[in-house]
Amino acid sequence: MADIKVENVTKRFGDFIAVDNVSMTIEDQEFAVLLGPSGCGKTTLLRTIAGLGMADDGRISIGGRDVTYLPPRQRKISMVFQSYAIFPHMTVYDNIAFGLKMNKFDGREIDKRVREGAELLHIENMLDRYPSKMSGGQRQRVAVARAIAMKSEVLLMDEPLSNLDALLRLEMRAELKRLLQEIKATTLYVTHDQIEALSMGDRIAVMKEGEIQQYDIPDAVYDLPTNHFVGSFIGNPPMNFMQGQVQRQNGQVRVRIGDFDLSPSNSMQPLLSAYEGKPIYIGIRAENMEILAEPAEDALQVEVLVVEPLGSQNLLTVQIGDDLVKVATHPTFKVKPGTKVWVRFPEEKIRWVDHDTRQALYPS
Amino acid sequence: MSAPSSPKRRRKRNWAPYLLILPSIVYLALFFAYPMVNGLILSVREAGALLTLHGEAQQLSLPTGQLPRGAQVSILDQQGNLISQDELDQANLVTEIWFQTRGQDSTGETLEGWAPGTRIRVRETNESGAPVSGTVRPRIGSDDPLTFIYAEPNDNSEIVGSLEVQTPVEILDQVTLEVWFLVRAEVEEQTEEGWVQSRYLQVFGDGTQGRVSRGDTGQFTTRYFQQMVNDRFFVPALRTTLLLMVIIIPIQFVLAITMALVIQANPKGSGLFLYLFTIGLGVSDLAVGIVWYSIFTQLGYLNSILQGLGLIDSPITYLSATKQYWILIAIILAEVWRATSIVMVIVVAGMQAISREVLEAAEIFGAGFWQRVRYVILPLLRPSLQVALILRTILAFQVFAVVVVLGGGDIVTVLANETYRQYYDLRNVNVAAAYSVFILLLSMFTAVFYLRAVRTQEEVGG
Repeated sequence: MADIKVENVTKRFGDFIAVDNVSMTIEDQEFAVLLGPSGCGKTTLLRTIAGLGMADDGRISIGGRDVTYLPPRQRKISMVFQSYAIFPHMTVYDNIAFGLKMNKFDGREIDKRVREGAELLHIENMLDRYPSKMSGGQRQRVAVARAIAMKSEVLLMDEPLSNLDALLRLEMRAELKRLLQEIKATTLYVTHDQIEALSMGDRIAVMKEGEIQQYDIPDAVYDLPTNHFVGSFIGNPPMNFMQGQVQRQNGQVRVRIGDFDLSPSNSMQPLLSAYEGKPIYIGIRAENMEILAEPAEDALQVEVLVVEPLGSQNLLTVQIGDDLVKVATHPTFKVKPGTKVWVRFPEEKIRWVDHDTRQALYPS
Repeated sequence: MSAPSSPKRRRKRNWAPYLLILPSIVYLALFFAYPMVNGLILSVREAGALLTLHGEAQQLSLPTGQLPRGAQVSILDQQGNLISQDELDQANLVTEIWFQTRGQDSTGETLEGWAPGTRIRVRETNESGAPVSGTVRPRIGSDDPLTFIYAEPNDNSEIVGSLEVQTPVEILDQVTLEVWFLVRAEVEEQTEEGWVQSRYLQVFGDGTQGRVSRGDTGQFTTRYFQQMVNDRFFVPALRTTLLLMVIIIPIQFVLAITMALVIQANPKGSGLFLYLFTIGLGVSDLAVGIVWYSIFTQLGYLNSILQGLGLIDSPITYLSATKQYWILIAIILAEVWRATSIVMVIVVAGMQAISREVLEAAEIFGAGFWQRVRYVILPLLRPSLQVALILRTILAFQVFAVVVVLGGGDIVTVLANETYRQYYDLRNVNVAAAYSVFILLLSMFTAVFYLRAVRTQEEVGG
């Protein structure tokens, strides 16, 4: 059992609060991802868990053991660094064996584990090489092999793929995922790449300005963002947000966008009635809108401003009210800029966001 | 009008790099290679060891052999030869003066020609001291009353006539000749014969025997190195130099690495700490010697403090001939104080080149502080340590001013001090050059040794 519990952890650098009262729990053998834009405190949080910089406040425990004030080597963790941080003066073999030697494993065990680790990463024929003679991808494999050879129950990874080129990153991503499923360690993985996060993580913690915005499974983070930031950070293109006005017509709550009336689902009606007469954000993902070439009763007529054919889909930019909205269509849907099309909003795909707090509203 | 471009157009050569390194090549040649080669030559070449013998009494005539300096020669013949005015200050020079005279011979005819200066008594000189007239001298111990007059200022030249004793003559001109000797000597059971200039000979009383006092060409010799090695200060100087090196360098490296680790840990005020430690670099070694002398001298700071604390009753004499170890301790302290910072600066620079993540990785994977130093920091510092080691060792061979100030220069002496003594006190340029070549060779040898011994892993592996 090696769950990681972070309780009310705060980390400051001078006046700057890098991690602000963060609490999260990573279950045993779970793959959690810390995702956020640069400077959001995700790496700082990881380093605090690793012990490279003590928490100023709060408590961190690993497998039920309070490690808040322990040095890194007593936390029983291993780590993969962004710059790989492999030892340039040692052969691949010695690099992988380093942690085992420091922890006084016996020689035969070290040899066995080094060869196992190297085999898992397909670098078993490079054990005598020096890192200076290796490519970035190979160095990355050494760094990962070094970390998994320790067989620690906790594995921390700090943007391990960000220094690789795009193609290699894709390849390594799949390989890492397979590997981590195999070794069954509790993993905390830091990245700024949402694709990595969505494709690899069991759960994703989206961070912004030192705080966790949402900590949930990838589907939920994508589909049910807790606030405006998560919706606009995750997804490509990000979630569309349009400004509307809540009104009551014939006893029903309606939301007016430009000159179009949107009727919220029945479950949202009571929640939205509190916003009567106030502005509200309507969030919807590009692929969740239906686009029609012919007029329909419940569809909004819009003009196409930009057409971006992306192969798997055509991305249209249309104007709704004051907002530019991206709509994904099937690649066979051919339109030219300037033509009129009709957009329909499926009511179950609409996310409602409070205009002032920017928090999403969900029926309880 | 442009010519058609030829198919094999020559690639344009880029001369800029060559132009840029030209000044440094000139600089190296003038101020580095030239003095070094000269020093080397001074130490192994004995100037004027051999004297060239000539076939005729002429500088340009063919050489017939060589005589070593100090060879005993018998003089067979001699002859005067014109020399220029500025050669007259040569040592051992034997000269003849000849006058161009005009006088009447016994038949009453006017005779003009050259007579040896020994045959004319000068009676009258002009304002500038040049002779203008004289009389022919009587010949002592000879009945022949006549003095020959020659066509040229040379007794091998044609005789144009003769003058009687006491004939008054006008002196028209005067020249100085250097005498050349025809010498013969036995060298290694071979007879060498030939003409030499008088300046190279020391002629004994009767004028038939002489000795080669110096030569005109140099010769390779190990004499100066032998003199150096046999000098009574050589072994102490070498021993002290090596002893200081063996003691000082490890102390300096341990201190420098420690200080660099402290700075690496980045405690408050480490910047100031670095500046304070590098002050030593800015102080001249002579000044450092004097500072430490003022600490260790009998009425110096050390004794004052010890007395003030009541630890000793009367001042202790540290720097005396009977307590060489105190002098050594003072020198070691002064050198450590002065030159540790250069090592530290290099090590700190090397330490900063080590990636922070690598050190953190070592920490994560279970290395404690000493293990990080042993397995990560020191191996990665290798190139810096190598540079520092070479620099420090070479500087250690040159240690001088501190030793002279604290050790007086003869109680405790080092190689550089012996070079100075040979050159300045004993005026023995060649032995001084031998010392400096010796120091140069030691420095080069250690540099090569370090470069091979402290080779980095990557080089070995690659």
